[in-house]
Amino acid sequence: MSTNSPPQNQGAESAQPAANVDQQGATEEPVKQSSTPSVFVNSEPMREEQVQNAVKFLSHPRVKGSPVMYRRSFLEKKGLTKEEIDEAFRRVPDSAPTVQTGGVTQDGQVKSSSNIQQQAQPQALQPGLPASTGVNTSSATLSRSRFHWSHALIAIGVLAASGAGTAIVVKNSILPRLKSWIRKVVVEDDEELKKVDRKPTLVEEAAQAAKSAAAAAADVAKASQDMLISKEEERKHFVEVVSLLDKQVQEMKSMTNALRRMEGQDLRITQTNTKQLIVNGNGKADYDLHSVRSTSPPVSYEPPGSLHPKSYMEIMNMVQRGEKPSNTRPWEVGQVQNSSTQVLHAQGSGEYLNSKVQDSTQSNGDGDDALPWWQKKNARIREIDNENEYNGNGSTYGAASYQPPPQRTWVPPQPPPIAMAEAAEAIRRPKAAAQKDQTSDTQSVGNSSDVSDEATRIPRRSESEVVVEGGSISSIPSSVEIQEDQELKQE
Amino acid sequence: MPVFKTPFNGYSVKFSPFYEDRLAVATSQNFGILGNGRLHVLSLSPNPSQPFTEIAAYDTADGIYDVSWSESHDSLVVAAVADGSVKLYDTALPPTSNPIRSLREHTREVHSADYNPLRRDSFLTSSWDDTVKLWTLDRPSSIRTFKEHSYCVYSAVWNPRHADVFASASGDCTLRVWDVREPSSTMVFPPHEFEVLTCDWNKYDDCIIATASVDKSIKIWDVRSFRVPIAVMNGHGYAVRKVRFSPHVRNLLVSCSYDMTVCVWDFMVEDALVSRYDHHTEFAVGVDMSVLVEGLMASTGWDELVYVWQHGTDPRAL
Repeated sequence: MSTNSPPQNQGAESAQPAANVDQQGATEEPVKQSSTPSVFVNSEPMREEQVQNAVKFLSHPRVKGSPVMYRRSFLEKKGLTKEEIDEAFRRVPDSAPTVQTGGVTQDGQVKSSSNIQQQAQPQALQPGLPASTGVNTSSATLSRSRFHWSHALIAIGVLAASGAGTAIVVKNSILPRLKSWIRKVVVEDDEELKKVDRKPTLVEEAAQAAKSAAAAAADVAKASQDMLISKEEERKHFVEVVSLLDKQVQEMKSMTNALRRMEGQDLRITQTNTKQLIVNGNGKADYDLHSVRSTSPPVSYEPPGSLHPKSYMEIMNMVQRGEKPSNTRPWEVGQVQNSSTQVLHAQGSGEYLNSKVQDSTQSNGDGDDALPWWQKKNARIREIDNENEYNGNGSTYGAASYQPPPQRTWVPPQPPPIAMAEAAEAIRRPKAAAQKDQTSDTQSVGNSSDVSDEATRIPRRSESEVVVEGGSISSIPSSVEIQEDQELKQE
Repeated sequence: MPVFKTPFNGYSVKFSPFYEDRLAVATSQNFGILGNGRLHVLSLSPNPSQPFTEIAAYDTADGIYDVSWSESHDSLVVAAVADGSVKLYDTALPPTSNPIRSLREHTREVHSADYNPLRRDSFLTSSWDDTVKLWTLDRPSSIRTFKEHSYCVYSAVWNPRHADVFASASGDCTLRVWDVREPSSTMVFPPHEFEVLTCDWNKYDDCIIATASVDKSIKIWDVRSFRVPIAVMNGHGYAVRKVRFSPHVRNLLVSCSYDMTVCVWDFMVEDALVSRYDHHTEFAVGVDMSVLVEGLMASTGWDELVYVWQHGTDPRAL
């Protein structure tokens, strides 16, 4: 038992009355009287804080309207002892004292215990109180009622006076206020008009800025178009030059043949003729070559040095197929691909991919020729964002647009053991599921087909194998598992 | 283990302090809402085919909420009746002369009756009219009325060691400790935030009291330091209707609840729940432990069954 030291004394005291009870002797009562502050009495001192809280409670006007029984019951429920409650009632003058004890039919045996003394006082007061308190309360109520009436009259008078005063003041001030308000309104209209004028100016400025920007963009477009045209013209010039050279070669050949024929006839006459012809032809050719060369330097795209006759469209096709023109840098190929893929992809994801492509390929530089850049790109993307959907989309689109290269320079490693994938799947599953919901709105065609055709896509991916590589192999089986599980769940 | 089927819904069961095999059952028709009541006095027989013998059965105009055996006469029973009357029955007399006394003073249903085990001449009744009344057998009217609660008094229990001290549990969420020699209650404190349905004194430690409430918990208090309970026992799924301390084991108490179980607790142990019996199929509202036979307990409920079994055995086993 968890007993405190002070109560043990009382426990000893209580043992005595218990023994006395068992004996049931005549000396029972006096012995009990001496130990009457028995264990069953609250021996704690009064808690002043509780008493003050009770006083506040009892002083509340709402509480004063409630029956006394409810007030006591409330305080008892709050854990106040009888002494504290009595003290609180004593402090609040209006509240009635312990009325309940009047209901207790006493049968003698009023002991002079400390407990009883506290209650005897209110009890002794009680017979005297009913008369006085009744009168007091009635007078108080009457006085209150009178006060109520007088209060009401005074309040009405004050209100009326204040109302009249305010009416006069308002009348005096309304007229000038009205006038001033009208003036203000008129002035405001003017200001509004000015503001309206100003606003259009702002709008016009914005429009002008937009127009200038559009004009600048149009200029840029025109400039690029001009560039293209000029390139084409140069190409044509090139072709012409080549044809001219061919013609000259043929002429040279015919000349030599003629010379050989003429040798038989008259050597001196033919030599002078051929020299003239040669001079003319070479001069012509030199002149044309010079003209071509003068136009070539401004074009930055022209591959430096070599003159392999590859057309623009041939190079584009090569790039789309994934072959790298032997003399281009990776980032140039990336730029070319960007333009081509932008034409092909109409979706935001494609653009996102391409921007990532630029970042990754530019950062990579031209060092990694062993790994094709598009393979690295997807790995980088997968590192940046673990969105399997994006990768799936990008990879599928990659597979659709990029044909597999003839020679595979890199073989994807074996997929990791399933345990890891499960762990990765467990970690990624909520994320994949959540992102699946997110991306389902943004991406139009791809996702739904992805989810539904996942089973068929797996062999296609493995076969095409353009985009899938080492960093992503582990994620693909996990994503497959995730989507398979989700499919199962959906089923 | 014997099972007795009562025609009405059971409300209370009490072992006789004189006979090991005798118990009284208070029942009410229609769950005590409306209708008659019946008081059964049963006797346990060793004959397994007929485990119960009904010594007497008394019908009342209204349901009987509680019953208490007299400590002075082995055949006297006090019944707390829902129409506000307190009826005394003598099983030794023929049924026609019963009830021998009908005391009508309470203005509302009498919810509990308890006989003073030490003085043996007086008993308490508590009622829904917020009062507790003290009676003796020889007087036709109450000796005292204790009116301090502000709501129904569900239980009034004598202290087993102090003849004049009793406790009352009320729906105003307070427990009051009274001394009949005092004009008003000597102690009052709120053991629960909700209605306190029952209370009982520890038979071995005179200052330990158990209370149980609508908040499904049973709390053990020492009245000397009543700010903090000694133990709080949770485990019932619904309001706890009755608690009884064991007369034989110091720390053991039994409780019955609206969750249809009867639980036995040991409040000095960390894991207080000792055993749980879910033999009732309705609210279990009455439980008692025999003073004469150690470990024998009885319970009754609204499923109109009375079970008597030994602690540790299955009540439904035969």
